[in-house]
Amino acid sequence: MSNADIALMAHLMRRAGFGASRNELEQKVAQGYESVVEDLLNPGSPNAMPDDLIRRFHVDMAEMRELNSAGAYWIYRMVTTDNPLEEKMALFWHSLFATGYSKLNQARSLMNQIDTFRRHSMGSFHTLLVELSKDPAMIIWLDNNDNHKGDINENYGRELLELFSMGIGNYTEDDVKECARAFTGWTLGNAEYMATRASRDSIWPYSRIAWHFQYRDHDHDDGEKTFLGQTGNFNGEDIIDIIVRQEASARFICTRLFQFFAADEVTEAGEAVISDMMATYFDSKYEIRSVLRTLFNSAYFKSDDPRFARVKGPVELVVGAVRLAGTYREPTFGADQLARYTLYMGQGIFQPPSVEGWHEGSEWIDSGALVERVNFVGKELGDPRNPGVQALIDRMSADVDGPLSGAAQVDACADLLGPIVLSDTTRTSLSEFAGEQGAADLREGSRTEADDQRIANLLRLLTATREYQLA
Amino acid sequence: MTTAVAAGAVEYLKTIGLTTNQSGRGFTNPYDCAFTSDGRILILNRCDTVRASLVRIGMMNWEEDYLGEFSRGYGRGDGQWIFPVAMAVDNSTVVYVTDEQQHRITALDTQGNFVRQWGELGTDSGQMNAPAGIALSGDQTLYVVEQGNNRVQRFTTSGESLGMWGEAGDGPGQFNMPWGVGLDSSGNVYVADWRNDRVQKFTADGQFMASYGSSGTGDGQFSRPSGVCVDSAGYIYVSDWGNERVQILDPDGGFVQLLRGQATLSKWAQDFMSVNPDERNTREMSNLTPELPAHLDTPYLISSQIEPYFWGPVSVRLDSEERLYVVESNRHRIQVYQRRKD
Repeated sequence: MSNADIALMAHLMRRAGFGASRNELEQKVAQGYESVVEDLLNPGSPNAMPDDLIRRFHVDMAEMRELNSAGAYWIYRMVTTDNPLEEKMALFWHSLFATGYSKLNQARSLMNQIDTFRRHSMGSFHTLLVELSKDPAMIIWLDNNDNHKGDINENYGRELLELFSMGIGNYTEDDVKECARAFTGWTLGNAEYMATRASRDSIWPYSRIAWHFQYRDHDHDDGEKTFLGQTGNFNGEDIIDIIVRQEASARFICTRLFQFFAADEVTEAGEAVISDMMATYFDSKYEIRSVLRTLFNSAYFKSDDPRFARVKGPVELVVGAVRLAGTYREPTFGADQLARYTLYMGQGIFQPPSVEGWHEGSEWIDSGALVERVNFVGKELGDPRNPGVQALIDRMSADVDGPLSGAAQVDACADLLGPIVLSDTTRTSLSEFAGEQGAADLREGSRTEADDQRIANLLRLLTATREYQLA
Repeated sequence: MTTAVAAGAVEYLKTIGLTTNQSGRGFTNPYDCAFTSDGRILILNRCDTVRASLVRIGMMNWEEDYLGEFSRGYGRGDGQWIFPVAMAVDNSTVVYVTDEQQHRITALDTQGNFVRQWGELGTDSGQMNAPAGIALSGDQTLYVVEQGNNRVQRFTTSGESLGMWGEAGDGPGQFNMPWGVGLDSSGNVYVADWRNDRVQKFTADGQFMASYGSSGTGDGQFSRPSGVCVDSAGYIYVSDWGNERVQILDPDGGFVQLLRGQATLSKWAQDFMSVNPDERNTREMSNLTPELPAHLDTPYLISSQIEPYFWGPVSVRLDSEERLYVVESNRHRIQVYQRRKD
C-alpha cells in the first residue's frame, strides 16, 4: 500500500466525505478506489445516531423549533453517518438552493427540506427540481404562496432559472413571467394561516405546525404559455422538463458540482472535466450520481491539480474535526453549540446570507473566521482524552521504535492528519516548537500522559496551518 | 382521534396550557404534572436550551386559573435543575424532582424553598445515573427509575435508599433506558421500559409480575413508551412516545383503547386568539387535520404537522378524580381525558 494511494484516498474522502482516519483509509485503499467511489455513490443504511436517543436527550431537537437545534441535529447526522457523500450532497443542495430560517421561522420544515435533498441527492436533477418546487419551505422563502392565477409573483420563477438551474443570460424576462404562471397554484396547506404565523414568528397556541405541499387547481393558470421557445398549456413539471434539457442547465449544475467537489477555481483542465460531466448529464438523463462518478473517476480529480485546491467550508471543517476527534458520538450536553460554531465561522446552517447562498472558496477566510476555525479544531484535536485523538496517538505509538524528535513528531502528525504536505517554513517552525516541548516517547511502557499531551499540543498547532485548512 | 367509544371508554375532556417564551402563564416544554390535595395542578417545565433559565414548576387549577410558579432556577446550585424529567408530591406538599443531568433528586416546597437534595453519579446504593421517572406510594416511598443504571431505586422522602432492582437487558426484570413509573392501588410498580418497547409490572419490592407489549405500531405494541399510570380499576395508561399516542390496557394488559390526541383551544389559547385576530381568522379557515404527503408519514412527522394530535407525549398522570393528563412536551400543553362513568 503506497503513500500515494493513501494520499489519493484521503483526497477522495475529504471531498466526498468529511475526511477519514488512517485505519479507514487503509481499509478503503485495500478495497480499491473505484469500488469505494461506488459505495459512496450508492449509500446503504447510514447507521447514524438514532433519532429516539437524540429526541429523548435534547428536548429542543425533539420539538425542532429553534434554528440551532435543527443545525446541530443535522451535524449529529453528518458526524455519525456511514454515508458521508449523502450528507455532503445534502449540504451542497442546501448551499445551492439556500433557504433561510429568518423569513420562515420554521426549523422542522427546513429539516424536512434537507430530508428531501438527501432523498434525491444523487438521483435525477429533474425529480429534484420538481421536489424543490413542491417544498413548502422554498415556497414561503420565495413567495410562491403569493403566486396566483391572474396575479403572479415572479420570485420563485426567476430564481429557479437564475440561481437554481441555468444562470442569468440564458432566458428572457418573458420566460420568467411564463415560468411563474406555470407555478401558480403550487402552495402549501393552509397557506394563509401558515404565512401569517411565519411573518409574525408565532409559536402560539401550541408551537409550530410543520408545513406540507398543496396544489390548488383553481388557482393554477392553465392557459397557453411560451417558455424558451416552446408553447403549450404548461404546468410546473412541464417547465422543469424544458429546463433540464438545456445545455445551460448542464453547464450550470456540472460547474457547481465541480467547484464543490474538485476545486474552487476552474482551470483549463477543469473545463475539460466539466465537459465530460455535461456529456454524462445528458447520457444518464440528468442523473447526478452518474455525473459525480465521471468527476471522481477522472484523471484530473486523481491528479495533483485539485489536491488541496479548496478551502474547507465551515461545516466541513467542524464535522471533519469532530469525526476525527471521535466526540459527539452520542447525545452530548451542549451539542447545540456546534451549529453556533459554524455560524461564527461564516456558515450558519439555515442562515445563508441571501438566496444566492454563501460565497465560498477564499471568502470563507477572514481574520475573525480564521480565529474561530483554528480555535474550534484546536480544541477538538488538542485534547488527548478525546477518543479519536487517543486512537491517533495509539496508531503513532504502534509504529515507533524510539523517542520521537521534534521533527519526527511533526512528520508523524502531518502524516496521520492527512497526509498533509507542509511547506518547509511551516515544518521548520513546528519542529522547533516540538523540539522545545521535548522528545515524545510513545513506546509501550514508556508512554506517559505528558507524551500524549505533547502530541496533542502539536496537533492543535497543525490545525492552524494553511495546509490543514484546505481540503 | 380515538377508537370507537364504548361504554366505560375514555373520553376527551379538554386541553390546558399554552406555549410561552417567558415565565408566568403558559408552559415551556412541560415534562410532567402532579396534583396537590388542595386542588392545584403542578406542571414541570423542562425548557429547551434557549429558554433553560425558565425552568420552573407552574401552578394552576382545573378552572385554568394561573396560580404562580416556583423554582430555584437553572444551574448546579442547591435545588437548581439542568434537565428535570419528572416529579412527585408528598403528603406535606413537598415536591420531588428528578434531574437526569445532575443525577439527583431535589425537594422543594411550593413556595420554592429548598428542602433537600440527594444523589450523585454512580452505581452504589443512593447514587444514581440519569434518574427519570418518579412515583410516590401511599406509604410515602419514592420509586425512582434510573435510565443510566437500568434499575428502579426506592427511597424514603428523606433520601435514604431502601434498595433497588433491575439491570441492563431485555429479559424479565431487565431494562433498556427505562423512563416513567406508575403505581397501582395495591402498590405494584409499572415501569415504562423505554428502549425495550414494553411496560413491566413488579411487586412493591421488585418481584417481576408481568410484561406488556412488544415493538411495533399495532394495538398493544409500543415504540419507546415514556410514561405509565394505573387507575383504581386497574386500567393501565401508557404514553406511547415513539408512536405519538396513548394506549389503554385492561388490568391483565389486554389492549382496550387508543388515543391519538384531539386537542382543542385551552382557555389560555382562546385568550390569545381573542387578541390576535389575524391568526384567529386565518386559523378558522384552515383544515388542521389535512391529508399529508407520503414522505412525511412517520408518527413524529405527522404530529409535527397535525396540531390536535399528541406530539411528544412524555408523561401520563391521573388526578384524584381519575382524570387522565397527557403531557406533551413539543406542544406545550396537556390534553385531559376521563373514563366515562356508565
